[in-house]
Amino acid sequence: MVVGDVTTSTDVLIIGAGPGGYVAAIRAAQLDLDVTLVEKGEYGGACLNRGCIPSKALLNGSELATEAGQAEELGIYADPTVALDEMISWKDGLVDQLTSGIEQLCTAAGVNLMKGTAEFAHENKIRIVHQGEGQGSESLKFDHCIIATGSRPIEVPGFDFDDDRIVSSDGALNFETVPDELVIVGAGYIGMELATVYSRLGSDVSVIEMLEQALPSYQEDIASIVRRRAERLGVDFYFGYTADSWAESEGEAVLTAVPTDEAAHDSEIELTADKILVAVGRRPVTETLGIEAVGVETDAQGFIPTDSRCRTNKEHIFAVGDVAGEPMLAHKGSKEGEVAAEVIAGEPAAVDYRALPAAVFTDPEIGTVGLTEDEAANEGITPVTGEFQFQASGRALTANRTEGFVRIVAAKETERVIGAQIVGPEASELIAEIAVMIEMGAKLQDIGSTVHVHPTLSEAVMEAAQNARGKAIHRQN
Amino acid sequence: MVREFELPDVGEGVAEGELLRWRVEPGDSVSEDQPVAEVETDKAVVDVPSPVNGVVEELRAAEGELVPVGDVIIVFQVDGEDEPDGTEPTPADDATADSGHQTDDEAPTQPAEDTQSEPAVTQRVQVAAPPSVRRLARELGVDISNIADSSLGRITESDVRAHANTDSYSSTQEQSNQQTAAAERQKQQAPSTQSVSSVQARETADRETTVAVPKTRHVAAEEGIDLDTVPTDERKDGEPFVTLEAVQEYAKAQQQAQKNDKEAVAERAAADESARPESRTPYNGIRQTIGAAMTESKSTAPHVTHQDEVDVTALVDARSTLRQAAEEHDIRLTYMPFVMKACAAALQENPQVNVSLDEANEEIVEKQYYNIGVATATDAGLLVPVVEDVDAKGLLEVASETNEKTQRARERSLSPEEMRGGTFTISNIGGIGGEYGTPIINQPESAILALGEIKKKPRVVEADGEETIEPRHVMTLSLSFDHRVLDGADAARFTNSVQKYLRNPNLLLLE
Repeated sequence: MVVGDVTTSTDVLIIGAGPGGYVAAIRAAQLDLDVTLVEKGEYGGACLNRGCIPSKALLNGSELATEAGQAEELGIYADPTVALDEMISWKDGLVDQLTSGIEQLCTAAGVNLMKGTAEFAHENKIRIVHQGEGQGSESLKFDHCIIATGSRPIEVPGFDFDDDRIVSSDGALNFETVPDELVIVGAGYIGMELATVYSRLGSDVSVIEMLEQALPSYQEDIASIVRRRAERLGVDFYFGYTADSWAESEGEAVLTAVPTDEAAHDSEIELTADKILVAVGRRPVTETLGIEAVGVETDAQGFIPTDSRCRTNKEHIFAVGDVAGEPMLAHKGSKEGEVAAEVIAGEPAAVDYRALPAAVFTDPEIGTVGLTEDEAANEGITPVTGEFQFQASGRALTANRTEGFVRIVAAKETERVIGAQIVGPEASELIAEIAVMIEMGAKLQDIGSTVHVHPTLSEAVMEAAQNARGKAIHRQN
Repeated sequence: MVREFELPDVGEGVAEGELLRWRVEPGDSVSEDQPVAEVETDKAVVDVPSPVNGVVEELRAAEGELVPVGDVIIVFQVDGEDEPDGTEPTPADDATADSGHQTDDEAPTQPAEDTQSEPAVTQRVQVAAPPSVRRLARELGVDISNIADSSLGRITESDVRAHANTDSYSSTQEQSNQQTAAAERQKQQAPSTQSVSSVQARETADRETTVAVPKTRHVAAEEGIDLDTVPTDERKDGEPFVTLEAVQEYAKAQQQAQKNDKEAVAERAAADESARPESRTPYNGIRQTIGAAMTESKSTAPHVTHQDEVDVTALVDARSTLRQAAEEHDIRLTYMPFVMKACAAALQENPQVNVSLDEANEEIVEKQYYNIGVATATDAGLLVPVVEDVDAKGLLEVASETNEKTQRARERSLSPEEMRGGTFTISNIGGIGGEYGTPIINQPESAILALGEIKKKPRVVEADGEETIEPRHVMTLSLSFDHRVLDGADAARFTNSVQKYLRNPNLLLLE
């Protein structure tokens, strides 16, 4: 049965119910706008269904198993066995709980929810094609539109995702059994997080990276701590190699990698694998939208450029989250979603954060915010830094997790905090304090003079700030 | 180059306007004639167009501020021309960064080498202001990077408010403190908080941090003085610094002020006893203009109101027939265009009503054109859009123009010109309800007609020599006229003419 194309209208149309889109929808509804949120798949976007949440569930599950099995030092003798299918279904339960929570939040806020694929008909009208053959479509007029279609994994030539041998991060979060041999292409944060999960669960993990470093976008002294820990978990790294091709041979896949720079490595390598995870980055999703038809511009990578109020080159069309460009972080998308909704409601909102915190949930974790020492220098600020090693933290010792450090970067002249890098236990939580400090325009002394609870990891933040002023107590300055 | 733009005379020689809303913000590109602000004069809300192509550098007035005509409200950065004073242009890629640097030049407290060693982009992390303060700055239309003085200290809410309240961006600490104090004073109008007179006695500051030696802190504690409230011009390590003398002087002034306050509060307390809840709104803008015009009219022209009724049963029929035809042209046909046409015809028959009194020259001016104003109730108050040459326009044309202008009056997008030049005004009080009224003449016109509600009433109808009582549609007419130039007989004759056309709208076909 073909349902007729009926046109209705809405103040604000939001395309995509990920962390950018659903936050925009709720905020817009709170501001008394008539809001319609269109989603073709699951509520919560990549973050809830294929990213942040499922990966953290598996990281936590795998960590628990590893820790329990490696605590002989503490007098604990255990040999946990992991039923991956049960861990995955526990994870799926969490995801279901969160996605239905989002649906409820949206409904309670008064957001109209629609299922289907959106496609611009003209500047103020969108066609929504319902899923499934012959389900028809409908059209919706809108005054403002927020594009929040997100991103999807990039494919490497010759390695098309087939959900069997070659998987993206989506597939790697849903393996039925732990692969004996897992080859990961790309040592960025997604590759490194999943290398952590599956090496802990007993896979023989190999990581191929074009560049000569794991986590190439992070500072070497931070990345090397994570790499060394991964190596201790049994991960083999092949730096300076590019995945070239693969073939099926005797019941397994054989991947051939060639040197990125022939001067550095003389020959190609072959790796056998049950699964090959390609994690070389993500690209924006715009192709089904028909944005060219309404004249919304994209850049060379396909991202939609926006201004500080999240407006595209079209006054009434906004873009937020991954589709609006790097960094592709859920919390960046949510912030932009709020701003876009408030701007549409006529409020003087703008994306004006001084620093965007980010975390990598490897073992140990990485948390960063603001500028590094080098970035500060490049911006013309003379930096001063302070560090504190977790080795000297009582709490880190009692947690038996002493790798890593806290580093705080400040402007030398004003002593204002402008950045921090943390690698170590709970780095993803510790970074929040420094993000607040940067936003508030705090000085080193403001952190250093704030009393921190003993014994906690957060003392390391205080000590690092004091170290930058030559006043740390528990280390030589 | 920088181009300063003054609030232009937006119509009728008004002296000032309230800046209702900015349509641009610093960093926005604008093209010539693009509206940059909405300004409410005492006549209407008008768009202020940009005089140039360029980039908005600075907004010099806050939304809600009353700006005199001729004051600089906005500064543009315009390409193409050299700096007139020969200073070196700032090498910056984008206009936002550029504007950050322009103000550095005006900041005497910042050491010169600072401005040179810091590329504009460092503003991102170097301007120290918490998110709530940055948001406030946007709400008040203040470019936070312009608050240059505080670049070494943290920019506070008070700094932003002070900046929004001043139209000059000079930035010595002394002025900043005074502005802060002024902003505080406005905030503290309520009698229960810090009293007015204490502030009058001595300026008060409100800083986030203050540097002082221990002895000073000790004395301040003894006197119960918050160091952050003590005014000072001195700085130490980039932070405000307060001396012992300043604290002692401030303490003395505070004591005197408190004494004065007690007396003042005691006086006011008696008055507050019988207080009932009430709210106050400013009497300004359109409301104030209406008030002034009504007072002027009623006190200069001796008003007389002539009242009568008219059987409009035929008009009701005619309108219901024509309404559908009008709808085919997408025009909503009300009774108002019929009455306007009837009045135009009646004015032609009674030219002595279509006059104004030129007191200066001691002459009565008879208009040979028929521009009819339609009094329109809006949220802001009564506005009177004028439809010109009603006699020469067809019914549909009059209807369409009247609909469009009254609609725009409600949206407050009428220009002052569109409310000028009327020769006669109609006020439709009946739309809301009521029979007779005593309208006030919209000077310099000499008469105004108020229409009552059209109601069915029993009336004696004579047909074929037989008199019967029938339900008829009846409308009331109240014509106020200026007895200086018109007499009762003129008014009665004019009203009779209007009645003739309304009773028999077919006569309008002959017009």
